[in-house]
Amino acid sequence: MSDEKWTVTFIVFRKKDEQPVRYDTFTLEVSPNEYVLDAVERIWAFHDRSLVFAHACHHSTCGACGMRVNGVERLTCITPIREVTRNGGTVRVEPLRNFPVVSDLAVDMSRLYQAMDVVHAQAVHPLDAAPLEGDGIRPPRQVPQPEEEGEFLRLADCIECGLCVSACPVAGTDPAYLGPAALAGAQLQSIARNPDLLSVVDCAEGVWRCHSAYECTAVCPSNVQPGWRIMDLRRQVVAQRIKALLGQR
Amino acid sequence: MQNAPLSAPKPGEGALLWTLKIFSGVLILLILILHFLVNHYWAPNGLLSHAEVVAYYQNYPIVPFMEGFFLIFVVVHSLLGVRSIALDLRPAPRVLRGLDVLLLAIGLIASGYGIWLLIRVTGWGG
Amino acid sequence: MNEPKKLHSRGVLDWFDPRGRQVGGWGFIINRISAIGLTIYLYLHLVMLGKLAQGPEAFDAFIATAKQPLILFGELLVIIAGLYHGLNGIRIALTSFGVAVRYQRALLIAVVLLTAAGSLFFAIRMLSIH
Ligand code: HEM
Ligand code: HEM
Ligand code: SF4
Ligand code: FES
Repeated sequence: MSDEKWTVTFIVFRKKDEQPVRYDTFTLEVSPNEYVLDAVERIWAFHDRSLVFAHACHHSTCGACGMRVNGVERLTCITPIREVTRNGGTVRVEPLRNFPVVSDLAVDMSRLYQAMDVVHAQAVHPLDAAPLEGDGIRPPRQVPQPEEEGEFLRLADCIECGLCVSACPVAGTDPAYLGPAALAGAQLQSIARNPDLLSVVDCAEGVWRCHSAYECTAVCPSNVQPGWRIMDLRRQVVAQRIKALLGQR
Repeated sequence: MQNAPLSAPKPGEGALLWTLKIFSGVLILLILILHFLVNHYWAPNGLLSHAEVVAYYQNYPIVPFMEGFFLIFVVVHSLLGVRSIALDLRPAPRVLRGLDVLLLAIGLIASGYGIWLLIRVTGWGG
Repeated sequence: MNEPKKLHSRGVLDWFDPRGRQVGGWGFIINRISAIGLTIYLYLHLVMLGKLAQGPEAFDAFIATAKQPLILFGELLVIIAGLYHGLNGIRIALTSFGVAVRYQRALLIAVVLLTAAGSLFFAIRMLSIH
């Protein structure tokens, strides 16, 4: 790594309990190849020990470090400072939207976890139930099937980071909306295999609350493509309803 | 973890209303473009006089019917759209019921009035 | 469950704030604004067309007062909104049934180009008539 140094000003959202929001400014010497989370940690370590934020793994697995960086949802542990500012520039760091703020940059993501629970989102799912559109891994054709009984499973991509919920324009006015991650979790199970899901997603708080802004897909750091999955789930819902109409349940 | 009580049955907006919204939308697009063409392109002066409108309706008797369907679909579509925007605000069930009644009333009045207007202007029924 | 806490959100303002939004988000914002505009126009339009029932004098007098640049400009806005909202509606209809979701950005760009072309056509036409 080069020892290039940048001077960057971090404007950090602060809020404690019922106190009004304020923004604190910290000017740091950083390497542009460091990540935004590194800078936030440095601010906490050397400038203000009362700064509250969440993180764990530092490698895009735990989903804890989501924040809004210059107004866009980012997984801060994999967002290089170089990508979001320039030498002498600023970086605005705010908590995710559409969740309650616990303190400063930490939010309470219960609504996401509860929604994942409502759709019984799985940690693993069968390969052939989880097609990916786009450039992702594309089962099932390239993947050989096991010879005996059973099927290949694969880990869900979603790391439950909540970026999609934060980016969704509707999630802010409707706290009960299941949201992109949970609807993607439902789509991965497919309604044909799991008919109980139909009533959970075919309602005002389910697939029909989406207005196709595709902000979720744009910010998802884990290639879940929730926008595409919501649309596919709609297709599944309509197909099931038509089947029911024709009396072939 | 327990199953959160989020999933109590509350359809509110289901596949049926959505499909209706989409189909009415696609239908009105065709007629709306025609409407723009008639009003701003084909009609020599842009259907901008009472006589021209009456002649347009009377010379092509299909037109009042077309306008009538256009009217009904566009009203249905726009009210479903308004309802969908309202649902984004997660109204309390009582508010939603009130809104449903209001929108239904607006829809019926607008459709009835528009059809009456078409019949009057075409000169049917005197 | 604890009592629900207030979401960190500006509510309705966040529907319309384009900062930090991507292509699809802009599409949504313009779709919603055009939809609200068209809806208001539709009911105004129906009320105004009531003049047709009051006979030639009333309607023609109304049209005469409506031939102002400001109102013509308003009509052009209605046409732009109608074209954009309708064409984008087709995009949403297709993607809602799982068709071409991968191309939603390209489709939106096509919608905008077609809207611009159509609006230009009607704008020139309106200028040459009036
Ligand atoms: C010209 C053909 C049209 C098509 C194809 C069309 C299609 C659509 C579609 C697919 C939606 C759903 C958008 C969403 O949920 O995100 C929608 C929403 C809506 N439309 Fe239309 N529409 C058309 C014309 C109109 C007209 C003429 C009006 C008003 C008079 C109107 C009023 C609305 C409203 C109020 C909404 C709700 C907007 C929202 O959810 O943000 N539409 N339209
Ligand atoms: C700015 C352009 C527009 C102009 C100049 C215009 C003008 C007119 C005129 C002259 C009529 C009566 C003659 C006819 O039926 O063609 C009419 C009827 C009608 N217009 Fe428009 N219009 C415009 C845009 C729209 C839009 C955007 C909508 C939909 C939201 C709409 C909906 C209707 C309906 C439903 C009727 C039939 C009403 C009835 O008699 O029941 N118009 N318009
Ligand atoms: S779908 Fe993507 S953005 Fe949403 S919670 Fe899962 S990983 Fe995060
Ligand atoms: S710290 Fe675990 S995902 Fe960023």
